[in-house]
Amino acid sequence: MSSQGLLSDRPVFVVGTGLHPYQRRSETTYVELGLTAVRAALVDAAVSWPNVDAAYTGTALLGMGSSRIMLSRLGATGIAMTQVENASASGSSAVAQACLEVASGRSDVVLALGVDKPRGGLGAAPGQAGIQNLEGGSVVPFTHFALLASEYMDLHGVNDDQVARVALKNHRNGSLNPFAQRQKVRTLEEILSEPISGSLTRLQCCPVGEGAAAVIIASEDGISRLNLDRSRAIRVVSSVTRTEALYGEGIGIDAALTADTGLAAFEEAAVDPSDIDVLEVHDAFAIEELLYAEALGLCQPGEAAALIESGNFDIGGSCAFSPSGGLLAMGHPIGPTGVGQIVEVVRQLRGEAGPRQQPDARTGMAHMVGIGAVCVVHILRHG
Amino acid sequence: MTDPPLMMGHRCGGCSRVAFPPDPYGCEKCGAPASEFEELELEASGSVQAVATVHRHHHPKPTTPFTVGVIKLTGGPVVKAIVEGNKVVVGDTVKGVLVDGEDDNGNPVVDLHFRVAT
Ligand SMILES: [Zn+2]
Repeated sequence: MSSQGLLSDRPVFVVGTGLHPYQRRSETTYVELGLTAVRAALVDAAVSWPNVDAAYTGTALLGMGSSRIMLSRLGATGIAMTQVENASASGSSAVAQACLEVASGRSDVVLALGVDKPRGGLGAAPGQAGIQNLEGGSVVPFTHFALLASEYMDLHGVNDDQVARVALKNHRNGSLNPFAQRQKVRTLEEILSEPISGSLTRLQCCPVGEGAAAVIIASEDGISRLNLDRSRAIRVVSSVTRTEALYGEGIGIDAALTADTGLAAFEEAAVDPSDIDVLEVHDAFAIEELLYAEALGLCQPGEAAALIESGNFDIGGSCAFSPSGGLLAMGHPIGPTGVGQIVEVVRQLRGEAGPRQQPDARTGMAHMVGIGAVCVVHILRHG
Repeated sequence: MTDPPLMMGHRCGGCSRVAFPPDPYGCEKCGAPASEFEELELEASGSVQAVATVHRHHHPKPTTPFTVGVIKLTGGPVVKAIVEGNKVVVGDTVKGVLVDGEDDNGNPVVDLHFRVAT
């Protein structure tokens, strides 16, 4: 369900953003990763740590109790700290919780942080439910999406090159992002080499590394009381979480769930798909951007591949899709990913995205799906 | 042994939904507990909705390359399973076949794969 008017009754704003670069697993501790992002967000917001009322940490891989050992190094102020796990959408859900806490009036200034370090395997719970299916371990996430690609390409007469162009664009965007794990412009030929599963190649699959992302969420009261820069505050106009329902027999669950969640988010924000200027989606695999562009109503079914090819979804096009580089190039360190999307959207809506700036961006959207299946969508607006 | 093999699914007593695989918990459509399910044999045959050949895999089994299909069973449910041979395309009619295999630890197992029907 959406937050049902809460966000219109008591407006909620992102007032600060911070990142630790997404990178391959290193010796850097998660505490160092997380603190780097939080300190940057506090500086960006001009908020001092003692003014933060509560903290939510999105993490799926660290294990229990990760927040305090990290955040107490900013000063052990005794505030509420809660870890949030929602698979790939863990960071998005941390943002959702922070927004809800501020909108409810309980707090004026709340931190939402995402931090993770990959370990061997993802340890997903559905595999422990004791339900034996036929595919066993043969269908890992990249094959799930390779099968979606097969179905989509067959249905719409789209070829491998057209799907690969999603990765071509996102690697190019990532090359302009100093926080991205992949910062190289690639040729279509490079992207089409190294097959992994079906039509998906290595560069059409996201890297899972480490990193951190943080945002400071505040109410109008908080902004006034702390005398924060109102012109750089970006309003969160919808926050919607949904899980998979029964959509009929088929494999297009991720798109159907996205359509459901997107619809509720557009309704809550009272905006149309055509109003979206920047969009960060769960493009863990190249095919997903095509599926979600259509599911979110940014174009008609079967149109997305041609729109990618014509540059419609480039920075400077009608809607900049994954201007950060998306999961494909910026990376997908799991916990940070959903928060990092909010960071990118806020920077775009402030006009502070540098070489990745989408001109005149006013309305932006962040979308994540995760194992389970869950979907979290936020819409943000300038002014 | 029947040809094609039979797969044990269930029909929900609450809403008549037919599903595979067996589920010991309850119905996703109407919420009836699994005690209200009746077993239902589903023929291992159907048509291919999507297909992907896997080139990289993080476990020793199955050995790459192998092909996975999304199969709409004649009896209704949709399953994912290994389809033998690499010439399978969307729209093909496939039939189940039982194959002897090994799990990651080398223990013998019998798997249900599919093959393009001739
Ligand atoms: Zn039922």
